[in-house]
Amino acid sequence: MKTKVRQLLEEGRVDAFIAYKTVHGLPFPTVFTKADVGVLETWQPFKARYPVTKLLLAQARQNPDKTFGVLVRGCEERSLYELFKWNQLHPDKVVVLGQACPQDLAFYCECPKPYPDHLDYGEAPKPVQESRRLGELHGMPETDRLAWWLGHFNRCIRCYGCRDVCPVCFCTECSLEHKELIPTGKLPPDTSFHLVRAVHMAGRCIDCGLCEETCPSHIPLRALYKHVNSLVEGIFQYKTGVPDGKSPFTMLGEESFLPTGVR
Amino acid sequence: MTNATRPTPSNPIGSVMVVGGGIAGVQAALDLADSGYFVHLIEKSSAIGGVMATLDKTFPTDDCSLCILSPKLVEVGRHLNVQLHTLAEVKSVAGEAGNFKVTVFQKARFIDMEKCIGCGTCAEKCPRKVPDEYNAGLGKRKAAYVKFPQAVPLKYVIDKDHCIYFEKGKCRACEKFCPTQAVNFDDQDREFTLDVGSIILAPGFEPFDPRIYDTYNYAKLPNVVTSMEFERILSASGPFEGHLVRPSDHQEPKKIAWLQCVGSRDINRCDNGYCSSVCCMYAIKQAGIAIEHSGPDLDTTIFFMDMRTPGKDFDKYYERARREKGVRFIRSRVHSIEAVPGTDDLAIQYVTDDGRIAEETFNLVVLSVGLQISKDTLEMAERLGIEIGDGRFAATSPFEPVQTSRSGIYVCGVFQSPKDIPLSVMEASAAAADSAALLAPARNSLTRKPPILSERDVAAEEPRVGVFVCHCGINIAGVIDVAAVADYAETLPSVVYVERNLFTCAQDTQDKMRKVIEDHKLNRIVVAACSPRTHEALFQETLRQAGLNKYLFEMANIRNMGSWVHMNEPEAATEKAKDMVRMAVAKVALQQPLGEIQLNVTKSGLVVGGGIAGMTAALTLADQGYPVTLVERKDVLGGHGRKLYSTWDGQPIAPYLDELINRVIEHPKITVLTNAKIQDVQGFVGNFHTVIDVAGTRKEIDHGVAILAIGAHSLKPNEYGYGQSDRIFLNLDLDKAISERDPRIINARSAVFIQCVGSREPERPYCSRVCCSHSIENALRLKKLDPEMDVYVLYRDIRTFGLRENLYKEARARGVLFIRFDLEKKPDVQVASDGSLTVTVVDHVLQRPIVLKPDILTLASAVVMRAAEADELAKLFKVPLNAEGFFLEAHAKLRPVDFATDGVFVAGLAHYPKPTEECIAQAKAAAARAATVLAKDSILAGGVVALINKDLCCGCQGCVQVCPFGAISYLEQEAKCEVNQALCKGCGTCAATCPSEAITLLGFSHLQIYTQIDEALTA
Amino acid sequence: MAERFEPRILAILCNWCSYAGADLAGVSRFQYPPNVRVIRVMCSGTVSPHHVIHAFQRGADGVLVAGCHIGDCHYLKGNYMTLKRMKFVQELIRFAGYNPERFRLEWISSAEGVKFAEVIRDFTEKVRSLGPAPSFEASPRLAMGL
Repeated sequence: MKTKVRQLLEEGRVDAFIAYKTVHGLPFPTVFTKADVGVLETWQPFKARYPVTKLLLAQARQNPDKTFGVLVRGCEERSLYELFKWNQLHPDKVVVLGQACPQDLAFYCECPKPYPDHLDYGEAPKPVQESRRLGELHGMPETDRLAWWLGHFNRCIRCYGCRDVCPVCFCTECSLEHKELIPTGKLPPDTSFHLVRAVHMAGRCIDCGLCEETCPSHIPLRALYKHVNSLVEGIFQYKTGVPDGKSPFTMLGEESFLPTGVR
Repeated sequence: MTNATRPTPSNPIGSVMVVGGGIAGVQAALDLADSGYFVHLIEKSSAIGGVMATLDKTFPTDDCSLCILSPKLVEVGRHLNVQLHTLAEVKSVAGEAGNFKVTVFQKARFIDMEKCIGCGTCAEKCPRKVPDEYNAGLGKRKAAYVKFPQAVPLKYVIDKDHCIYFEKGKCRACEKFCPTQAVNFDDQDREFTLDVGSIILAPGFEPFDPRIYDTYNYAKLPNVVTSMEFERILSASGPFEGHLVRPSDHQEPKKIAWLQCVGSRDINRCDNGYCSSVCCMYAIKQAGIAIEHSGPDLDTTIFFMDMRTPGKDFDKYYERARREKGVRFIRSRVHSIEAVPGTDDLAIQYVTDDGRIAEETFNLVVLSVGLQISKDTLEMAERLGIEIGDGRFAATSPFEPVQTSRSGIYVCGVFQSPKDIPLSVMEASAAAADSAALLAPARNSLTRKPPILSERDVAAEEPRVGVFVCHCGINIAGVIDVAAVADYAETLPSVVYVERNLFTCAQDTQDKMRKVIEDHKLNRIVVAACSPRTHEALFQETLRQAGLNKYLFEMANIRNMGSWVHMNEPEAATEKAKDMVRMAVAKVALQQPLGEIQLNVTKSGLVVGGGIAGMTAALTLADQGYPVTLVERKDVLGGHGRKLYSTWDGQPIAPYLDELINRVIEHPKITVLTNAKIQDVQGFVGNFHTVIDVAGTRKEIDHGVAILAIGAHSLKPNEYGYGQSDRIFLNLDLDKAISERDPRIINARSAVFIQCVGSREPERPYCSRVCCSHSIENALRLKKLDPEMDVYVLYRDIRTFGLRENLYKEARARGVLFIRFDLEKKPDVQVASDGSLTVTVVDHVLQRPIVLKPDILTLASAVVMRAAEADELAKLFKVPLNAEGFFLEAHAKLRPVDFATDGVFVAGLAHYPKPTEECIAQAKAAAARAATVLAKDSILAGGVVALINKDLCCGCQGCVQVCPFGAISYLEQEAKCEVNQALCKGCGTCAATCPSEAITLLGFSHLQIYTQIDEALTA
Repeated sequence: MAERFEPRILAILCNWCSYAGADLAGVSRFQYPPNVRVIRVMCSGTVSPHHVIHAFQRGADGVLVAGCHIGDCHYLKGNYMTLKRMKFVQELIRFAGYNPERFRLEWISSAEGVKFAEVIRDFTEKVRSLGPAPSFEASPRLAMGL
């Protein structure tokens, strides 16, 4: 990998490359340039996850003319696809190297696709299609769900960690901070805090699970977003995290579910 | 001939009289009023809307008829440059084109229009019930009445012929109860004269009265209804409130039959030889809607002769009814309808395909009555001295389709010939265009301009809300405790002034409101009264006059959504009214003044396509004084017209075309660019900038509008042996061969025509509209060359719509043989090595193959688009194409030449296959619509439009993709999106799409909606 | 006897069809329960899922969104977006444990005064039968399992 990245930087195909550096024994996302590519380490599988594409987005926004390389996992590649589709990053300005996740990470994450389409490093582990949490929720009577959710939502300390870590949250100002929609000064915040975020995740969430991992109150956010995405898939036959298509909420289109006939 | 009919009066009058307030008259009036002419709209009844206002749905989109019509009616009612004369008729016309003096007779209304507030108390109190014309006599109205709830003007009228006071000298209940003293029994009929430059006749039609078909027993059997009655039965606002029941016992029918051609294509029982052009489609529509009402088990059967669905998307509609909805289609003309003894059911006898006589019982029978011109209209035509032609329609020429025999008087709609709504709208615009060209020197001479008023700057002020609570006589105060509502309003934040009015809309109250706004320095106004849909504009005008921005206004609809719907719950209605006032106050307090910006208009046009449609459009604009650039891809003008021999009624095309080309070339306002191609289009309505490649040279032009008229061409078939023998023609080649007296034609002893070649096939599921007439014209021409020649037309349905039915009649009389085939059993053509032809077709009646050995074979091939060219142009102008590759207009019914993108219009074959006279009418219509843009010095943009806060925009472009009007663009440089206020229509779809809530629909901001929600739920 | 439950219903109506249909219900004097509060918007396409969620958060017992029939939209296709968003939001509230019948999307034309009155009657009774909406209000007590 070191050779490959060095080559990319030296040939000028990328201006900088986002990969990892070991700090205190932990891999840390770092922006490498031609100057410091020497300290880049050889690739090896590791379990730590970061919102690297969010880092990439911040870099790209500051340096709109530069091209970046990035080392991505399956989920991170999915987020890239979304950021391309939502016009936040330009595919021509991103060079991707892909890494597989370790099998135990894939199990831990319940990851439906724990490897990128562009797989450069590592072996593709087995995907996990079932979500235990979602299974539990679907098994629950609908009438019990509100209490279940409120029990979780009520732990919310409104830290915005779910949003801040989310690789596909790209708005400069967030609906969650509109005081007329979600009143300030209330703790826990209104339930609409979570539902509004769920609306935003529909047709966008790439199911990386960072939100839930980050949440200090252990709110099962991923189940919520996973479900809204499955709704979008069920109603509109649209899947997120793939290179093609557009969110059905962002186009008029003659979608298949509309009544047939001359219109 | 084009010059002859276009005299240019030296000093014309800048106003136009439009006679008839149906959809055609309304369209003509609006087009002219928007193009700089003052319009007098004369309507015979008490309200405009015509037949379209009585229809339930419209084909082929099943739009709710009144829903799409009503905004146009309201626009007419409010237009500064349309004066509506209801209950009025034209008595006589003196003078000449450009300078007419028209005498108008107007019946007394007995209700003072100034005073009437449309509350309906008079009708409520009126004791006399009268059969309701609006409901085709199926329901009752009162002698004091309004035609329908959405009537324009929404003013009541007293029907003198049925009023008890006029009959017996006493009653006057309406007068006693009218809260505004609007009833005036001393009102008199009157006569007055108006000076106008031109006249447009749009008197419409009357439905055929089927009583003379004695074997149908319409007069005797209550469950035999006309299609007009059935429209009302289906309508939600009809006599049965949209429940599909039959008149005799109000039971839901299980089996309904439609009988076609009642009063059409019939010279035996009536004198209507023509095809009414609309009945097949409306019958299919009614059957489909009936199934929607009653469910899929409803048995619907249409008895017809030929299924005539030759319009845009019509055949697909027919096929869907047949295949998906299960409507039965039986090809037979029904002889009689008899009562089934002991029941209210009806027995129908008909002849089946194989010649047997069958009988079937139905619960309800609908007679698909034709359109005819009324006696009144014919008398008016006589008074006006205009010629009446075939079928008692106004005489016109295909080359001047809206010009009557009297110069300066134009015709549109069904009085011109039987037709559907979009064609009527097209012709109405065409008539407006001809009028505008005639009166061009007088443009803007008689129009009124809205006064320019100065506006107080209130942006920095704290909200000071004034609340006006209306009693509406007893309409509101009779239920709601208005005093309590007013007292409550005083307690609301920002409210500094509250008053109650007997009628807030009354002129004196408005004058007072103006003063109150000034005296109390009010900067926001709430009126708690009726509906903003009817009264917002009125109050906004008062705000403007008081120096307030008109958007600082909100209504609380405590009547239509309060007192009128909670009549027995006064307390709850009062509480609801308070909530509504609270919501309105909270919303208006957040409202900022909205600006309107003026954008300049480049007063010139671009026409793409130099065929008949393109040239006509260019000339029509140029004749009104607007410079036009005409772009033609070939090196000559003329387009498809060069290949045409004659119009359907036999008038030669070539001399007309030559003259048209000459006029275009010599017109000082027209620049013709041949060998030219559009390369790039930038800008928007009023401000386009286009790059054209003219034979390799780059040319750039600025223009305000664009008309796309790129035409279409004949399909080269790959079936029926085409190309394998020089004896196989397309109709266009046959035209030429006949006119050149080609030996192949002269020596022919027999000829066969095959219809629907490439049309009405799964691959191309549309009818090409012109082929039936074209083949029959040519069949007749062959018969004239040699009456002994055997001429066969192999067809699926003969679609000689309108007066073209005469051709079909004549062809049969001259011995042309018509053999019908099915799509499943198409004719077979064999070309022998010696070039001789064998055509085999299965005859439907005999169920046997017939073998023909014609000397010549003509294929009526489809009209198809040049896909690549259309596609490219569509992308450049950001306009859509339909599945068949034709340009897709903004609305199939009411905007037939507009695109959803403002400032771009369509005409001719590029819209859909159509004959010459329709191309001409459509081209003129496109020019008329374009002229409404060019007539303005500037375009007002702003008001209720979307605004993007660029600081918040992330450039995701979701808004760009959801905007139905292409009004949002992405700015590459800034990576932000921007709304073009000139194109934005203010729907707010983008605002709900934006993930960052960076978009505000001004006047309906997220903040305002959240606040309204909060206030609605805080009580 | 306990007082009858009076649900609080919010209706967001498009200006051109559904609000006009509601006007017509008034003109025709069709009576319906007074529980509904109406917000007029230009097009139902401007109704965002946030508006619906906000209404439930603020204690609406039922929310109705009504627009032009598909194909009749004054803005051509604005209501396509309404259909998509509202279908989604209904499923979202179901998943959150809210009875989806508290939300309704209807197409009501300007001629359908009868339908407007019927929808309001029917929806009001439906929501009445469901009882007061469970609170969306978050409370730390619940979090502690009390």
